[in-house]
Amino acid sequence: MTSEAAAGKNRSGMGARGLTHATPAAGAAPPVGEHGQSQVWLFLAPAFAVYAVFTLLPIVWTVVLSFTDSGGFNTTARFTGLENYEAVATDPIAWRALWQTILWLVYHLVLAGGLGLFLALAIARLRRTQVMFRTLFFLPHLVSLGVVGVIWANIYDPYFGLLNSVLDNLHLGFLKQGWLSDSLLVLFSVNVASSWQGFGLYMLLFLAGLQNIDTTLYDAADVDGASSFQKLRYVTLPGLREVTTFVVSLALINGLKGFATVFVMTNGGPFYRSELITTYIYRLAFQAQQHGRAAVLCILLSLFAITITIVFNRWRRRIDQ
Amino acid sequence: MFNKVTSMHLAGALAFGAVVAASPAGAQTLNMWGPEKIADPAVAALWEKIADGFEATRPGVTIEYIAPTGTISNGAVQAAIQSDAGPDVVLTNSGIGRMTTVVNSKLVQPLTADYEAGWKDQIYPWLYEQLKQPFDGEIYEVPDGLDALAIWYHKDMFEEHGWEFPDSYDGFLELLQKIQDAGVQPIVAAPNNTGSAGHIFGNVLQVTAGSDVMGDVVSGEIPWTDERVVAGLQAFADLVDKGYIQPEMAALNFDAGTRLFLSKRAAIFVGGPWFIGIAAGADYPVENLGYVSMPSNLEGESIPTGGIGWSYMIPTTSKQPDLAREWIGYLLSDEVMKMRAEDPTSSAIYPRELEGVEPATPVMKDIFDAAAKGVGYNPSVYVPGSTIDTYYQVIQGLIGGQVSVEDGAAQIEAQMQQAK
Repeated sequence: MTSEAAAGKNRSGMGARGLTHATPAAGAAPPVGEHGQSQVWLFLAPAFAVYAVFTLLPIVWTVVLSFTDSGGFNTTARFTGLENYEAVATDPIAWRALWQTILWLVYHLVLAGGLGLFLALAIARLRRTQVMFRTLFFLPHLVSLGVVGVIWANIYDPYFGLLNSVLDNLHLGFLKQGWLSDSLLVLFSVNVASSWQGFGLYMLLFLAGLQNIDTTLYDAADVDGASSFQKLRYVTLPGLREVTTFVVSLALINGLKGFATVFVMTNGGPFYRSELITTYIYRLAFQAQQHGRAAVLCILLSLFAITITIVFNRWRRRIDQ
Repeated sequence: MFNKVTSMHLAGALAFGAVVAASPAGAQTLNMWGPEKIADPAVAALWEKIADGFEATRPGVTIEYIAPTGTISNGAVQAAIQSDAGPDVVLTNSGIGRMTTVVNSKLVQPLTADYEAGWKDQIYPWLYEQLKQPFDGEIYEVPDGLDALAIWYHKDMFEEHGWEFPDSYDGFLELLQKIQDAGVQPIVAAPNNTGSAGHIFGNVLQVTAGSDVMGDVVSGEIPWTDERVVAGLQAFADLVDKGYIQPEMAALNFDAGTRLFLSKRAAIFVGGPWFIGIAAGADYPVENLGYVSMPSNLEGESIPTGGIGWSYMIPTTSKQPDLAREWIGYLLSDEVMKMRAEDPTSSAIYPRELEGVEPATPVMKDIFDAAAKGVGYNPSVYVPGSTIDTYYQVIQGLIGGQVSVEDGAAQIEAQMQQAK
C-alpha cells in the first residue's frame, strides 16, 4: 500500500474502494451538506404537513377517541379508560361484523379476482376482438359503487327484479330466492354486485401480466407435447405470480373497504346478516353518535388489515423461496 | 327565485360543504335543510311562496332550501351539521328517539326560551307538555307535522272483491286470508329503510297490546319482554307465518315496497298522510286511496299510531340563529299554516287546530277524522336513539326469520336498559 493510498484510507476510513466512490460521478447525487439538509426538509415540509394533517393526526385522534365517551364533535368527551374496548369485546354484533368481513374478503378474492383471471385468460389470445371485450368488461369499474348498489338491488328485487323474472321465464322458478333477505345468501349476493364492479380492473392487470410471459415458453411446451391445462399450470400461472401477488393485495384492500354496496343494498340487514366492520363503524359513529366505540372498531380494522398484509407477505416470501 | 331551491346532488352528506353562496355585503342567506320533497316542483312552488312572504318583510334576506340527502336515522343530518358549513335550520323527521341522538351530541340548540316567549301558544297544549318530557323541561324542536300511521288501501280493488274492513283484529285476519286467496299479496312491509320498518310493526303492536301499554313500553316503564308486548310481536310474526307478509320483504326498501303497493300487487300498505304525496308523485290516482285505522279486538284501540313526525331544529353550528328563530316563528303563523293546509301538496296534520281550513284532498278529511279519535304511539319516534337501530333490525329479523319473538323482545329491552 502506498503512503498516498494509506493517507487516503486514513482520511476516508473506507479504503481504496471507498475513495473512488467518494468522488462524485457524473449523474450521481451531490453530497448533502448542512445547507442541503435544510433544503431537503424544506421540500419535504409541504408533503409532510399534508400527511400529518390528513393521516397522522386522524390516526392519533382515533386512538384518543377510543378512550373517551365522545358523542359528537360538540360534546365534551370524558376519559373512560378501556370501557369502549370492553363494550366492543362483548358486543356480538361487532364479532359478527368481523366474521362477515372475513367472509366478504374471501368472496371478493374468489369472485372478483377469480373472474378477472378467468376472463383475462379467455380473451388474451383474441386478436381482433380483444379490445372490445377488454372495454366491455372494464366498463362496470367506471360505475360508482353506490350506483352499482342501486342497480343490483333492483336486479335482486324479489317481486320485480330481473333475476327472479329470468328464472321464472326459464322455467326455473324453483331457484327463485329472496337474494337479499335470506340469511345465508345475503352477504354473497351483495358481494356479487361489489365484485361485478371490481373484476374489470383485475382482469386488465392479469392481461398485462399475460403479455409479459415469454411466448417461447409456450413453444417449448408445445414441443414437449404439453396439454392446455399443463401449459396453464406450468407456464401461465407461474408467469403471473408477480401480478397475482399485486392483484391479491389490491383485492384484500378493496375488500376491506367494502361499504357502499352493503350500505345501499341492505343497510347491514336483515338482522345484521350483512353487517361489515365498516358499516358497523358508520352505524355507531354517525347514527348512534358513539364515536368512542366506533374508534375502537377503526383500530381493530386497521390491526386486521396489518395482520393480513404481514401474513400474506410472509406466505408469499416462503412460496418465492 | 330560481335559486331558492338548491338541489344538492352530492354523493353523500359528508360531502356537504359548498352550499353557502357568496352574498353581497349586508345580505343574509338562511339555509334550511328541507322540506323533504323540495325537489318536487309543486312543493317547491309552495315553499317559494312562503319564502317570498318572509323576504318581503326583511330586505336583504334570502331563504335557500337544501334538498335533504337523508335523515337523523341514517346520520345525514348529523353529518351536515358537523360539516360546519351546515344549514341554519333543519326540518326533518323527529320524535324522541331521533331527537335524543342530536340533543345528546349537542348538535341542536335549546329553544325553551322561545316557547316561553310565545311559541307554546301556537301548538296544542298536550304537544307542548309532551315536548318538555324527555330532556328535563328543555325543548329542542318545533313540531311541523304530526304523523298518523294507518292502513292505505285501493278503493277500487276492495270494491271489486267486496272486501270491507271489519271492526276486530280477528276479522282483519279473515280479511287478509280472503285477499291472499284472491291471489293478491295482503300486506307490504318494507323494513330495509330505517323508518318505514316501524309503520306496520307499530300498528300491529298497538292494536294487539293497546296504546296505553305501548306508551308505557316506549317510555321504559314496562319492559319489551312484558307478555302483552311479546303477544304483539307474536301477532306480527304470525302475519309472516301465514304469508300475509312475505319473508322476502325483509330486503325491501321503502321505494320497492311502495312500488309493490302502487302497482296493485299488494292490497295494504301502512303509512302516514305523507303517503298521498308519494302516490301522487308516482301518478297513482289519489282519489282511489282509502285510509282506515287498523282494526283491534280491544275497545277504542283502532286508532293510528303516531307522534311528532317532523320538526324544525336550529343546529348549534347555525350561522344565523336569530334569523332562524324569526323564520320558524313566521312558519308557525296563521298565514303560513293556512297557506300550507289548503295547498294541494299538503299532507300533514298540523301542530295546532286550524279553523276554517278545508283540506285540499278528500282523503285528508278521512285522515283528520281518524286522527281526531286520538293517535297512539309509533315506537320509531319514541324509543331512545340508541335503541332505534336494534328495533329496526329486530323487525327485519322477524320478517326474515332470523330472530325469534322472545329473543327480539329481549334484544330491544337490552338496548332500552342500556339507554337508561
